[in-house]
Amino acid sequence: MDQTTTSPQTTHKARSFSFSWAGLLPFLLPILLIAIWQVSVSAGWVDSQLLPSPLAVIQDGIALWQTGELPKNISISLYRATTGFVLGGSIGFILGLANGLSMFSRRLLDSSIQMLRNIPHLSLIPLVIILLGIGETAKISLVTIGVMFPIYINTFHGITSVDPNLMEMGHAYGLSKWEQFTKIIFPGALPTILVGVRYALGVMWTTLIVAETISSNSGIGYMATNAQEFMDMATVLLCIVIYALLGKLSDLIAKALESLCLNWQNQGGASRE
Amino acid sequence: MSNALVTLDHIDKQYGDNHALKDVSFDIQQGEFVALVGMSGGGKSTLLRLIAQLEQPSAGTITYSQPNLVTRVMFQDGRLLPWMTTLQNVSFNSHDAKVKARAQATLDAVGLSDFAAQYPAALSGGQKQRLALARALMADPQLLLLDEPLGALDALTRRNMQAFITQICDEKHLTTLLITHDVDEAARMADRVIVVKSGRNVYETKGAKGQDAETVARVAEEVLEVILAPEQAVTARA
Repeated sequence: MDQTTTSPQTTHKARSFSFSWAGLLPFLLPILLIAIWQVSVSAGWVDSQLLPSPLAVIQDGIALWQTGELPKNISISLYRATTGFVLGGSIGFILGLANGLSMFSRRLLDSSIQMLRNIPHLSLIPLVIILLGIGETAKISLVTIGVMFPIYINTFHGITSVDPNLMEMGHAYGLSKWEQFTKIIFPGALPTILVGVRYALGVMWTTLIVAETISSNSGIGYMATNAQEFMDMATVLLCIVIYALLGKLSDLIAKALESLCLNWQNQGGASRE
Repeated sequence: MSNALVTLDHIDKQYGDNHALKDVSFDIQQGEFVALVGMSGGGKSTLLRLIAQLEQPSAGTITYSQPNLVTRVMFQDGRLLPWMTTLQNVSFNSHDAKVKARAQATLDAVGLSDFAAQYPAALSGGQKQRLALARALMADPQLLLLDEPLGALDALTRRNMQAFITQICDEKHLTTLLITHDVDEAARMADRVIVVKSGRNVYETKGAKGQDAETVARVAEEVLEVILAPEQAVTARA
């Protein structure tokens, strides 16, 4: 009898082992980096005043959470980010739709929007401060402006890039204008729009960080600036980690949205006649 | 007595300097399966697009036997909506229960009922064209326009689909116009074959639908000779 034949049980075990290992891979590098960081500080290779250990950062986070300062500042930052994203996303989406669908609107507005888009929105901070002060309106406005353009350009591009053959098919099959939009144009544009959403989420956090750093008395950015003035490196690093985690979270939400709306992109494979 | 569903009368079509169609006149009788055959660039697809009212002729008239004639096109590239399932593609994702039931029945008729929940990306080439056919049949059209629907398929699948389309059209007594560059296909499927060459309909002959292989081959050869012959303005009916 052949002793080298692989039994179904062995194959199943090998597959389970491979699956678990593959699931751990994305975490390997961060865990390794944190471990090296911790060892470096613990062994005295790095000055802990300049670069506190991961443990010190975690302890600092726990302390700030217990005092209520951390949840308060995270909430305020989340509020600003979300409000600015919704406002900027809505404006960008509506303009992108209008200019994508209407030649008149495109000719009227697109050139001006493209010109404004090329102004680095962070350079508008002094203007925003002068016009709107340093309150919530100014910060939310900056996030709104930052988010608007990626959503606009991707919505516009998505709409105008829908396969004209599909549009012609819709017309040939007697679909109304509304049906053509809901069944062909919008679903066809959605992948590009969602890429814009993911990109805009990154811009949202970047803009918020800067806005809170320059002119604020609350928020994660304020916490980091305040900590920097007192050489509280643990809090500075904590804020960086929080931004990273919030950014990752928003990216996961965007990916989940893509999976939900675009699951048809993952369907495929051969089938036999 | 003429029972023409569609009549083309001295049709001209120009795209700038390109004179795509020149004085084309023919009709399609009720229940007839007509094939337009010719080399690429000869004007066949342009004629189909005009009949489908996707474009307007530069001159001449196209007359339909009744207003609001229900016409459906089956395109060569299928033009299925990738974000809709097979069943949804047939009904354009209608939420009406009756429409959905009818869509399911149409899928059954083309042998795709097992693939109702699949997306088009999961279907083979032949299955995609069957889906496109199902979608075209969904509206119970009076005129079916087939724009080289089998061009992208392998030879065996193509032959199967030819028989399938012919069977469906016969069962429904569908008036059909087929555009193809395959003379064998035209001869095999059509009641009448019209040769389009350099924008003109230059020849027409009786097709060999339902006939034996020898007759199909004879008609195909006859049509091929016309296509390959030097420029001529002969219109003949066999």
